[in-house]
Amino acid sequence: MTTVTPENSLEPISKAVRGRKSRAREEELLVWPDLVFIEFICAVLFTVLILILSVLVDAVLLDRANPAITPNPSKAPWYFLNLQELLLHMHPALAGVIVPTVALVALGAIPYFDSSSEGQGEWLSTPRAWLNLWVGALVGFFGTLLLILYDASKHVKIFEMIANGTLSPRAPSTPSAEQYAAALEARGDAVPSGLQEIINGANPVLSATDTVPSEFYSQSIWNGASGYTAWPESLEFLTTMRGIQNNIPWPEWSKSIPLGNLLRTDLFGFPRIELNIDIAALIVEQIIPVTAMIGLPVLLAAVASKTGIAQTKRDHMIMQFSGFIAVYVILTVVGTYFRGIGLELEPYTIFSHG
Amino acid sequence: MASNERPQRGTLGDRLYDAAFQNRLWRSIFRSGYPNTPRNQMLAVATNVFLHLHPTRIHRTHVKITHTFCLGGLSFFLFLGLTITGVLLMFYYVPSIERAYQDILALETDVRFGQLMRNMHRWMAHGMVLTVIMHMMRVFYTGAYKPPREFNWVIGVVLLVLTLLLSFTGYLLPWDQLALWAITVGTNMVGSAPILGEPNRFVLVGGYQVGQAALIRFYTLHVIGLPLIAAVFMMVHFWRIRRDGGLARPL
Repeated sequence: MTTVTPENSLEPISKAVRGRKSRAREEELLVWPDLVFIEFICAVLFTVLILILSVLVDAVLLDRANPAITPNPSKAPWYFLNLQELLLHMHPALAGVIVPTVALVALGAIPYFDSSSEGQGEWLSTPRAWLNLWVGALVGFFGTLLLILYDASKHVKIFEMIANGTLSPRAPSTPSAEQYAAALEARGDAVPSGLQEIINGANPVLSATDTVPSEFYSQSIWNGASGYTAWPESLEFLTTMRGIQNNIPWPEWSKSIPLGNLLRTDLFGFPRIELNIDIAALIVEQIIPVTAMIGLPVLLAAVASKTGIAQTKRDHMIMQFSGFIAVYVILTVVGTYFRGIGLELEPYTIFSHG
Repeated sequence: MASNERPQRGTLGDRLYDAAFQNRLWRSIFRSGYPNTPRNQMLAVATNVFLHLHPTRIHRTHVKITHTFCLGGLSFFLFLGLTITGVLLMFYYVPSIERAYQDILALETDVRFGQLMRNMHRWMAHGMVLTVIMHMMRVFYTGAYKPPREFNWVIGVVLLVLTLLLSFTGYLLPWDQLALWAITVGTNMVGSAPILGEPNRFVLVGGYQVGQAALIRFYTLHVIGLPLIAAVFMMVHFWRIRRDGGLARPL
């Protein structure tokens, strides 16, 4: 039988506690009054602040809940708007459940990745801490912002502005029937008979100076005729993430692959799984977002390692954590203030089409 | 000799002080005397069930406001404030879809300080989400999650989730358009999980759409279920701060 002595009774306690240097009495303060009073003053101060805020600003109360009227836009509470923002860019299971779960598990696992005692107990005390904080935060913030703008096809207008050497994002307006027919003739194309009737005055409703009816009209022909370079039609699938799904002629078989038939869960007594895979949707909603969410932080870490910006584990931790916080903030801000009716990106006048 | 050792007769102040703090009543409540000597100051902390969450002595640097910005303490303070205002709000609120909205309107117009209570509860709830997130950032950037405090960080992450859930469940209770649709959007996210999503959403909402069943579930979770769980985790969280050697310091 082992006798419990002061030495071995401490065994189960972590080395870090046991090994800490005993401190000199003159470095110490008594909790009463030095800490208790600070806490008390802090509590009084915040009680007063909250009282003042509550007198000045009333909590929101809208009309009585009505399941028949869906407000546009419908938004979750602000701290979940980051997830709602993610929903617009990827599969709902990914945005609503898998990403937050993985994020929380990763957050909880931080101390198990980085167990060195480097930089403990002081604000950002390691040599490259501030650098890593700013690099992580800025890359996370602007990187996410660019991805959101990309998915809203805002790069299309920027391309057109550069290609046309103009700062005006405005495409040439819709031409009159006469102008459009002239553009078709200049290209060597035949003028459709319906358009010819309008120009000849045979149409009872429209005349030559009216704008072209949409059934005859193609933006790209008019753009070409007016010397305006639009986003190339061959790259149409790159306008948004959805474009990859919608603007590429995916073969019919790829649109519904019955995975349930392959898994045969019914053989094990479980109900048959109805799981039909659409390859294009899988790529757009799952593969690309997952690649981006894992790949971009890994890329950042690799670049930071190569350039010597991040050298220790703590450096990498600070960079990734700051990036995470920045992404959380920018997604929340965009979701809260820049999503309007139909969850469209606002202010929509900036770089908007037409 | 002996007569020299006898203390001199005190001033009026001393005698008043003795009457106030050296009597049986004071002693029966507070075991130590008035905390005006280091010994009594330490006893004041060590023998008080609330104050003994603290150690009796701490390192000089730990009382610097800029070290912690009081964020963890503020989160706890807001939790207490939310409990008090929440109990007061419960006096006037019935979690039924027929009455809930009327009760909130009545609270705002007919109840003295009702609007103020509701405002305080709402702003403290938003404030607590913020202080908990900022507390997490403070602990991260001061490296205070490192061993031996790893597990307390994990408990902290659980408390962050509980804070969000507490706020989320409270969001439905006013039963206005904001509440109904925010919760509808939020619970639909749960429903989108693969395989288990839809059953989970069904259990949470108590049906296919947010209605009476959801309201009573959210109410019960909000006023008793989640606060109890959060209190247990807070107990462990605070206990572990002491056990793991107080605030982190450079080793």
